[in-house]
Amino acid sequence: MSATDVYSAESGPNPQEALVKFTMLLGGVVFLLMMVFGLIMRVAQGDLISLDPEMFYLLLTAHGAGMVGSAALSGAAILWFFSARHLNLRSSIYIAFLGLFLAGVVLILGSIFIGGYGGAWTFLFPLPAMSGGLWEAWAGVMFCVGYLLIGVGFLLYYLELGLKIASRYNGLLGGLGWRYLFANNSTDVPPPTIVAASSVLVFNTIGIVFGAAVLAASIVNLLLPSFEVDPLLAKNAIYFFGHVFINATIYMAVTAVYEILPDYTGRPWKSTKLFIGAWAAVVIFVQAVYFHHLLQDVNMPAWTMAVGQVVSYASGVPLIGVTVFSLAVYIKGSGLKWDLPISLLTLGVVGWGLGSIPAMVDGMVSVNKLMHNTQWVPGHFHTYLLLGEVAMAFGFAAWLVRDKAVTTLSSLDRLVFRAYVFGGAGFVLVFLWSGASSIPRRWAVHYEQWQLQSQLASGFALIVVLATLVLVVRYVAGLARRSQ
Amino acid sequence: MIRIVMAGTAFSVACSLQPLVGQDPVIHVLAQFPALILAGSLLGGRFRLPQHLTGPTLVLALVSLAIWMLPRSLDAALLDPVWMVAKFVTLPLCVGLPLAAAWSHVGSVLRGFLKAQAISMLLFLGFLYTHAPMRLCNSYLVDDQQRLGLGFVYLACALILWWIIPVFFGQISSNKKDDDNDVSRHRIELR
Ligand code: HEM
Repeated sequence: MSATDVYSAESGPNPQEALVKFTMLLGGVVFLLMMVFGLIMRVAQGDLISLDPEMFYLLLTAHGAGMVGSAALSGAAILWFFSARHLNLRSSIYIAFLGLFLAGVVLILGSIFIGGYGGAWTFLFPLPAMSGGLWEAWAGVMFCVGYLLIGVGFLLYYLELGLKIASRYNGLLGGLGWRYLFANNSTDVPPPTIVAASSVLVFNTIGIVFGAAVLAASIVNLLLPSFEVDPLLAKNAIYFFGHVFINATIYMAVTAVYEILPDYTGRPWKSTKLFIGAWAAVVIFVQAVYFHHLLQDVNMPAWTMAVGQVVSYASGVPLIGVTVFSLAVYIKGSGLKWDLPISLLTLGVVGWGLGSIPAMVDGMVSVNKLMHNTQWVPGHFHTYLLLGEVAMAFGFAAWLVRDKAVTTLSSLDRLVFRAYVFGGAGFVLVFLWSGASSIPRRWAVHYEQWQLQSQLASGFALIVVLATLVLVVRYVAGLARRSQ
Repeated sequence: MIRIVMAGTAFSVACSLQPLVGQDPVIHVLAQFPALILAGSLLGGRFRLPQHLTGPTLVLALVSLAIWMLPRSLDAALLDPVWMVAKFVTLPLCVGLPLAAAWSHVGSVLRGFLKAQAISMLLFLGFLYTHAPMRLCNSYLVDDQQRLGLGFVYLACALILWWIIPVFFGQISSNKKDDDNDVSRHRIELR
């Protein structure tokens, strides 16, 4: 095989480009649709429309699963695209991944909108089997099988990445950069994208395996209820999986920042020891931190509470700190010209960093006692997803179809960007405010005293939806322009 | 020649375990079965299988193995002499031998998939055998069944370590098919 088989920024088109563009289109459209579902829920909570509570839970389930799925899909597309700059990845594996993913989506949508499954994206055991007559066991099974298919797709995706990284960088330790970090071996230090890819594939594979195990157990329980699973064990496995999986989406997407920013600043993003060390911390801590989801389970051992609290800091701070700080350093004095892609990517990093702060607050046992089931929690994750991962995904998509002749923000771009930031920030701040006022999450119907917040949030959400609509249309137009 | 002797030894070990298998499912499934499969695979490693037969050979091995995963087959092998003989014939010749013969043609992704599938099936069986509210085999007690379930889990953990650790150190097995896709070193400048 010759050197040119591996794409580098200088050596012509990326062989994965068409597939990745298609994926980003899918992701963008689904993001938009799910935002509309979110808007409907928020409007209903504000009593501006009347929505059957049963329908609310179907929308909540679809919104949760659809958003997490689209974040994962777009993150995976970004990581694949940039990994292909350094590795010779096989498109056939990506196609299989995408096929399994879409098959999973069909089953999940079927289970929700045909089968009536409304047990939320977290499928907390034994909820799928305890519908109170709202859905039948087969709908729960269909939902779980859909997830399993997506899980298998991801395992295949990581298998290919892992094989290629291990053979190119002399084992995963090489890909993680740990030879450089711990043995000071500075030959063949992996680039940032490969460090990220290796880290994510290690912890997300473990997470998915736990998720798959509990899904399989849930399926057996749904079909043969006499097979009982220890609910606390199942909850541990589910939150381990859920936490790791949703975090992985942003850890995959951030590679767009590592790879695109240098195009703008002329300064390559380097794999320093600090950088590799921060990623090493993530690999360990992202797995140990999930206990902060179980702070209310009184029968969990006390040490898990301590780990949950302490690691809540350790898991986020190093990498986010290093990334935000490096971003600022790379940008400062580089003469960077702001256009839409780089604005959205920068927003993504900032939103990711800010979004982790409410989580650290809520990761404290004493605070969690009060805030656990309030809208504080959606406030946290909407910040790092809506203003973090999703912003990065749209930034990457805009970069894919950028017009190289245009190096500034057009007035439409500026308006859209500002609307997205304004609407998004307002929307998440109202969630946080609601949480601080003890308004519970996951309630279809809100008391009158809570409705002002929901109504305000609906206004902000509408702005986000409109801005996103423009981003999607702009992407489609960009695709059409480029294919001419 | 050495391989044939080793295969013979593995087969003899499996035969010598036969008096014990009625009392203990762990010996039956986690000692005798692997010994029989090993015997076949030691023979199969010598075969030069044509590439186009890889698929059918793998299917034969996997289907045969799937049949032996059923609790019903375990019972039958204890009660029915025909099934007993079938066990001594099919596990080496329809599982171990074809698996080993096909392995060198199997690409790394499929290898990874098969390994992952083996681990997840072991864990799944571990779950079933430890959680089943009834006896799955007529010939064994619930306690034995749960011990076997735990045995599946331990085996899965051992396989995970055995297969994963080399990946971290760069010793991954590859074959001709993968070489076409390999990326040689020092080609890309760090960006
Ligand atoms: C316009 C944008 C959005 C709106 C209007 C919106 C609205 C909502 C609402 C009303 C809820 C339920 C809150 C409650 O529990 O009371 C919710 C939950 C949720 N949202 Fe969003 N959302 C938006 C964007 C996003 C994005 C971009 C993501 C992820 C990428 C996301 C992921 C989730 C998740 C995971 C849940 C939790 C579902 C559950 O509790 O089971 N949302 N959203």
